[in-house]
Amino acid sequence: MSRAELLSPEGLRIDGRRPAELRKITSTTCVLSQADGSAYLEHGNTKVLAAVYGPREARHRALVLHDRAILNVELNVAPFSTGERRRRSKNDKRLLEMASFVKQTFEPVVIATLYPRSQIDIYLQVIQHDGGTLQACINATTMALIDAGIAMTDYVCACTAGWVEREAAIDLNYIEESSDTSEVTIAMLPKSSKITLTQMESRLHVDKLEEVFRLAGEGCKQMYEVMDKTIRDRAEDLARKMAV
Amino acid sequence: MATPAFTFTPSTFQKLHPAEFFRRFTTEGVRPDGRLLDAFRPTTVHHGVISTANGSAMVRIGGTTLVCGVKAEVAEPKLDTPDQGYLVPNVELSPMCSSKFRPGPPSEQAQAVSEAINRVLKESKVLDLKDLCIEEGKAVWVLYVDAVCVAYDGNIFDAALAAIMVALNNVRIRKPTYQEGTIKVSGGSTANDENSFTLNLARTPLSATFAIFDTTLTILADPNVTEETISEGQISITLDETGQLCGVTKIGAASCSQSVMKDCVQSAKKRTQQLRNIMNQQ
Repeated sequence: MSRAELLSPEGLRIDGRRPAELRKITSTTCVLSQADGSAYLEHGNTKVLAAVYGPREARHRALVLHDRAILNVELNVAPFSTGERRRRSKNDKRLLEMASFVKQTFEPVVIATLYPRSQIDIYLQVIQHDGGTLQACINATTMALIDAGIAMTDYVCACTAGWVEREAAIDLNYIEESSDTSEVTIAMLPKSSKITLTQMESRLHVDKLEEVFRLAGEGCKQMYEVMDKTIRDRAEDLARKMAV
Repeated sequence: MATPAFTFTPSTFQKLHPAEFFRRFTTEGVRPDGRLLDAFRPTTVHHGVISTANGSAMVRIGGTTLVCGVKAEVAEPKLDTPDQGYLVPNVELSPMCSSKFRPGPPSEQAQAVSEAINRVLKESKVLDLKDLCIEEGKAVWVLYVDAVCVAYDGNIFDAALAAIMVALNNVRIRKPTYQEGTIKVSGGSTANDENSFTLNLARTPLSATFAIFDTTLTILADPNVTEETISEGQISITLDETGQLCGVTKIGAASCSQSVMKDCVQSAKKRTQQLRNIMNQQ
């Protein structure tokens, strides 16, 4: 795939989007019957399912904290989710790293002191992978935690951004990610505009950094609109049913 | 007669004496979730949910939800069958689907279900494996069939088999060309009838599972997770579209009479027909 095709002369990306445009987002909560809270999120073709169990009794007594809950995140990538089938073992370092990112993103946000001596388990299942897995995981986790009724100080909205050819762009898909573009994932608390996670592994010129960060922040705000609407619609729906 | 010393709310009674609680319902011919003893839960089937996979399906039976994806890869054939490809089915029961499952290597239940499905697919000769041959002795297609359970509410075998059959049904594999030791698969444009082929399924086995409850040997169709825990045995009947039996499994302590088995087979026939209608509708 030649680099020239990533951004057309008119400024359209490979999938026809403008640089500052997010992919089509579909989100639903309460999709699983067994979990305390669950959410299903689609960023274009990236599909992630999040399930939250908790607060419940901690599995390992030795890890229990007397004054707060412990968060445990497990990330599972389905073998059929990527273009080539890859059987990732549970202990794959990349997956463990991503899971620990999610955990560290939510630790300051979840009000764990309300649930001492317990454990909150977050299970993430990537069903289809088309770029932006970490952002989808974080967004799905936010909605699942809200669905489970676990107290948080704010939503956590995540968005990827990068420098594609000559412009900053958000929500990169797999083709854009795997070609030689730099990509940063940012997770933000929308109300206070505070950033809880920044992750970048590629090279980016420091002059371009501000533009990319700014665009990512706007992307996060857009994500917040979508997620909030889903949660409110569901809450209204439930309230209506309960009033009957 | 003295008044009883303790009274319980129904939910407390269910926790203390689950079997007794259940018996109160079955003697009236119903179950706590409102179903009749021989009723199956509402089932939905979705085709082609995952575009990165060659074939995919999502099946929901009541609260049990499974997502199945089929990926085709090129590999060397097994030594004793140089002109046949092969299927590798796998059912994953992760801690996400229920608090019963712990993280770690596949549980005994997951392995048992995977093996049961593998047996059904092999023995029923669902697919003519020679169709999967690219170049005899050198290259064949391997179909990795992965069924991931996202919500577990009992009866994983029925859901898994249905999901796998639906996924195999909509598999599309690009036609390969073999040239001097390398396989070329056309990429680019969308898969259509010219550059890809679908699988020719010889049979579509589907199953119906029943739980055996209590000394009265009450048969419960499509047990959910609470019913599975308190039941003493299970019967699974697998039938193909012509009504032929593909597999019968009975496990558990309770022994049941032949008439019970016959009733189960009749009920299974109706259920699998109903499942096929659902599959073909969408």
